[in-house]
Amino acid sequence: MLIDIKDIYKIYNEGKESEVRALDGVSLQIDKGEFVAIVGQSGSGKSTLMNVLGCLDVPTYGEYFLDGTDITSLNDRQLARIRNREIGFIFQGYNLIQELDALENVCLPLIYRGVPAHEREELALEALARVGMDERAHHRPSEMSGGQQQRVAIARAIAARPPVIMADEPTGALDSRTGKHVLEILRELYREGTTVLLITHDDGIAATARRVVRLSDGVIVSDAAQEVDWE
Amino acid sequence: MNLLQAFKMAFKSIACKKMRSFLTMLGIIIGVASVVIMVSVVQGQNAKNLEYFEKMGSNKINVSAYVWNGQDVSTLLYDYCLSMPELVDGVTPNIQVGQDMTIKYGAQTLSTNNWDNWEDMIQVVLGSDQYGVCNNYELGGGRDLSYLDIQDTNNVCILGGKIKETLFNFIDPVGREITVNGRPFQVVGWYQRKDLDGWPELDNIVLLPYTFNRTLNSNSTIDSYVVKAKSATATVEAMTRLDAYLKGFINDNNGYSNVSSDNSSANDIQQQNTMQAMVLGGIAAISLLVGGIGIMNIMLVTVTERTREIGIRKAIGAERRSIIAQFLIEAAVICGIGGLLGIGMGYVGTLIAGKFLLGESMLLPSTPIAVGAFLFSVVLGVLFGMYPAIKASGLQPVEALRAE
Repeated sequence: MLIDIKDIYKIYNEGKESEVRALDGVSLQIDKGEFVAIVGQSGSGKSTLMNVLGCLDVPTYGEYFLDGTDITSLNDRQLARIRNREIGFIFQGYNLIQELDALENVCLPLIYRGVPAHEREELALEALARVGMDERAHHRPSEMSGGQQQRVAIARAIAARPPVIMADEPTGALDSRTGKHVLEILRELYREGTTVLLITHDDGIAATARRVVRLSDGVIVSDAAQEVDWE
Repeated sequence: MNLLQAFKMAFKSIACKKMRSFLTMLGIIIGVASVVIMVSVVQGQNAKNLEYFEKMGSNKINVSAYVWNGQDVSTLLYDYCLSMPELVDGVTPNIQVGQDMTIKYGAQTLSTNNWDNWEDMIQVVLGSDQYGVCNNYELGGGRDLSYLDIQDTNNVCILGGKIKETLFNFIDPVGREITVNGRPFQVVGWYQRKDLDGWPELDNIVLLPYTFNRTLNSNSTIDSYVVKAKSATATVEAMTRLDAYLKGFINDNNGYSNVSSDNSSANDIQQQNTMQAMVLGGIAAISLLVGGIGIMNIMLVTVTERTREIGIRKAIGAERRSIIAQFLIEAAVICGIGGLLGIGMGYVGTLIAGKFLLGESMLLPSTPIAVGAFLFSVVLGVLFGMYPAIKASGLQPVEALRAE
């Protein structure tokens, strides 16, 4: 079991009139090497779920074990280490640092990991090559299209070879063709054994995942495996 | 992440955000430079004002006294001053010979009437054996006038530092003979130069025993004296006593007497200086404060932008301390460079201001002021430069990422 959450609550303004239960008792188990789509309408709590799973946010209540580690007991430094080594993030808005070029952006997680300089560049170029962006290694985000930026963001997520990739609406800001290309890269990572969590509101994209978890109003309403034809 | 990495990241960030870095630096540069310049100019001005009094000698009492009937005030005053050694260091007539005088040594001739070249103009002065003490001259070589020289009207003279160089060109003048209006005088000693700006004649004196007043100065009345008191308090006391003593035998009907001191004007100037220093120092402090507020502004305005950057860095695994280290180094480098540039500009500005406002060739700021202004700006810059890092690095990454 790679991811194991039990009764996760994320409650804003608890006890007040404006109380919002973004996650209202979610339990979910994900094995190594799964390709899971988390689907839901806007406001269903799917992004909150990903933030909790990705250690970007802490749940109000609940238990979270990642690869056997009790995440809720970790301190800030240990959480940074988990985010750095165990999880690769892909955001809807790319979240690249504008002042750095593609290569430097991809190098960042490796720097924080303490990878030596020459090795770092090698890994980063390799990751850029995988997403077909190695020729634009020295371009800044402002000099790239949305699809290209997202591919650089993917390269950044996979450069440190984390066992889990979490993608929050990775195609949300892209046209359908570039979106497909991005999904193709995720599938390839899945085939190589990486666990992929894909958050989306788009049923069409969800239909391409092996397992679909559907969220509504902070609770899981369905969780089903499905056969998909990727060819 | 090691320190070298943090440095690299900080420099990268500075290089990428040139405008913000420059604006931050500008606040520091202007703040530091203005403080350095203003304080230095005031200090230079004060030093210049006080230099006059130091070189002229402090605790000097100027006495004017004469009696119509030609009574010898000099001897009376001399004796009276000797009677209060606890207050007075010396007394001398202070006479500048008004007539044209020609001084010769070998082939060289100097004149007291050299109006074309007033910087080289010489003065023939008459004084007692205490002339040097009273006027704050230091003996450079040879001996001072002696009481016997006065009593016997010996043909001896003392030279000022500059005229000694002009006439003898670094040869020891002691024992050589010059002529004053054709009359031979043996040089028995010379005074060191004072080099007081604007007062070159102080080093161009030929001092003769005052008893030559009869022959060299048409026997004009000796009416001007200098009494050197031992201290500032002694000055006040001696002035009172001298005044009373002179009033005892000189009144409006038979003569004139007046006792005054430069100490009071020295005090006035010192007070003025303090006032000026406070006003300009205040203005300088305000400009430093404004510079500081500029730094704060720039740093705070970029908090949101940087918060997002910090969110991204945290999301991909940066530890809090890595982020704080990066921002700390970044702010320290920007402020450090800005502060150094400010000091540099302050030095240049001080030199220029010194040249044009005070006529000083090399007015340099005092180090404590420069260092103080530098530290103030750097500390301010670093504190506010780190503010976003301290604030945002403590947030959950998702909250920092939400900043737009």
